[in-house]
Amino acid sequence: MQIDIFLFGILAATFSMVASKRLNTLISGFAAQSLFLALITFLLAVKNNNLELYIVAGLLFLIKVILIPYFLRRVASRINVSQDLGLFVNSTLSVFIAGILTYLAYLFTKNIISMSLGGASSVFVVSLSIVLIGLFMMIFRLKALTQIIGLIVMENGLFLTAASISGGMPFFVEIAIFFDVFLCVAILGIFVYKINRLFTHIDIDKLTELKG
Amino acid sequence: MQIFFILAIPLLLSIVAMLSKDTKRLSFLNSLGHAIVLAFSACLVLDTVNFSEPKAFFNFFYIDSLSVFFIFTISVINLASSLYSIGYTAMDLKEGVISERKAVKYYVLFNLFSFSMFFVTVVNNLGMLWVAVEMTTLVSAFLVGFYNNKKSIEAAWKYIIICSVGISLALLGTILFYFTASQHGNINSLNWTDIVSVAKKLDPRVVKAAFLFILVGYGTKAGLAPMHTWLPDAHSQALSPTSALLSGVLLKTAIYAVLRFAIITNKCIGIGYVSNLFILFGLLSLCVSAGFILVQKDIKRMFAYSSVEHIGIITLGFGFGGPIGLYGALLHIFNHAVTKSLMFFGAGSIVKKYHTNNMNVIKGVIAVLPFTGIILIFGVFALIGMPPFSIFISEIIILIGGFKAGFYFPSALFLFFAAIVFGGMLFRFGKILFGKKPQDMAAGGERLSGKLAFVFLFSFIIVLGFTIPGFLNKILLLAVEIISGA
Repeated sequence: MQIDIFLFGILAATFSMVASKRLNTLISGFAAQSLFLALITFLLAVKNNNLELYIVAGLLFLIKVILIPYFLRRVASRINVSQDLGLFVNSTLSVFIAGILTYLAYLFTKNIISMSLGGASSVFVVSLSIVLIGLFMMIFRLKALTQIIGLIVMENGLFLTAASISGGMPFFVEIAIFFDVFLCVAILGIFVYKINRLFTHIDIDKLTELKG
Repeated sequence: MQIFFILAIPLLLSIVAMLSKDTKRLSFLNSLGHAIVLAFSACLVLDTVNFSEPKAFFNFFYIDSLSVFFIFTISVINLASSLYSIGYTAMDLKEGVISERKAVKYYVLFNLFSFSMFFVTVVNNLGMLWVAVEMTTLVSAFLVGFYNNKKSIEAAWKYIIICSVGISLALLGTILFYFTASQHGNINSLNWTDIVSVAKKLDPRVVKAAFLFILVGYGTKAGLAPMHTWLPDAHSQALSPTSALLSGVLLKTAIYAVLRFAIITNKCIGIGYVSNLFILFGLLSLCVSAGFILVQKDIKRMFAYSSVEHIGIITLGFGFGGPIGLYGALLHIFNHAVTKSLMFFGAGSIVKKYHTNNMNVIKGVIAVLPFTGIILIFGVFALIGMPPFSIFISEIIILIGGFKAGFYFPSALFLFFAAIVFGGMLFRFGKILFGKKPQDMAAGGERLSGKLAFVFLFSFIIVLGFTIPGFLNKILLLAVEIISGA
């Protein structure tokens, strides 16, 4: 029961991210999404009395709720990026598209996964729709920082997918993936600095030196 | 045992590079180190050929003949690239393009990059495989953006973003494989060996969907069209020794990852599904790259698109399947790695000399850089698949595999696109190699280490054009057995 509430929280946070027009709300949306994800993992840990899952939940909270949002805010304030996200698709249409993507995730789950899964398929629907929405954000939000956020939203969705089936992946794989994602965000952050220094903006749609 | 040395030496070299201040001595030490790595991987090949049993360590490493073949390919290209780097970094330093500190950083990244590529080929756990592939992206992104100018940073950004998205999809595929393995195979393990052993019990529908995610995901990294868009940017902006590594072996490690999943999928649902997908993406890559090669003006981008073409050919070979098609595809992996590295080195020397990538401006290379020019003539003929060079042999084997398996139409399309590339490349290179050299340009300036790299790679091109040495033949046959699941 609690899991369903938290799942709803994740989905709501994701939709609020799609609708948001300012960078700070986007980052807060990501922190909220990660918080619900950590809570779900914590619940699973309590349910299975599994030490590894407790550690994963703790790491999730530390890295995705605190460190990454802090890091992103810091980058944003350091390079004085404007709060405007430069929406390529306006927020009403974006929410509509996100709804369609969620429905697609539902169809995929219903036709391919649920036959063999039985109960937990609502987790799977939510997680897959987050992956798709993250992908959508990466493609249609053309600022460097929003692309990073889209990427980690995708990772969150993947994490939930993994958690939804038989209590997550093997422990050390989970840890390695965490480490990798964090490294990836850090490195992308470095490149945001470099882009900002060279181009004096971080609009990806204006990076057009390389063609053909 | 050799595998630990192969993994340790690059790591050690990167630590040495971090502490070192003298670039010149460091660059020689680097080549020496990679020569030792090549020696160890040659030992590993001989070991595998003679005993042919897969080795496993700590339930983490798993090395069978397929991995050994990739390890050998990677170490050959690593050695060549480290040799060529000696002269290249020295030139960059002399021209003041990079500082001494930056040159040292290059060697740190170079070795971390080669370590991560070796790592991809030896892990058993499919989750760790994902981590390793992502590591190759993260390290090489710095090598792509090495010069810190507008173009290279743009290329690095696109590279890291597009490949990370692709690889996220691959992670989704991996999770789906794990899902069906734990639900239907009753194992709680992501080890490739375990999943293969229960492959027949997996749910075919989940496997089909999962493999599609894997192919699109790792295919992005491999440079398959239409997910190849990062590739020409990254390959043209990276340092030339790095371009060779990217094109020669990085793309192949992604193919390696796809192959591991293809083996599971084939065992589960038969070979038709994977084969059709491979042929589709292979032909698409050939078609797209042929078009871009015809209109390309930038010499390094042209080779980048040619990499897309050859990845397409390799994928096509795996799609044709059967012992012949698989053998040809594997051999083509090696041949393309060697030839394309040679061409990128050549292009690197030309660009250094002429200070432009534009093929309309570059003229008279033979007169300016005699040694490079002559090697490049043969290199171009080798690359477009003329006898008696190695790529001709592997392409013919793939074609025979295609006709034998009854794929007449795809084979014909393959020939058609290869002919377009043949014409396009020959036309372009005739103009830049011959023609009148710019008046104020002095001839010469070729370095011994660079020449050594050329000769080293060229000897493979020639030898493999006439005969396939016994040990290579044996390791290829063993690897074919693994892919076909025998």
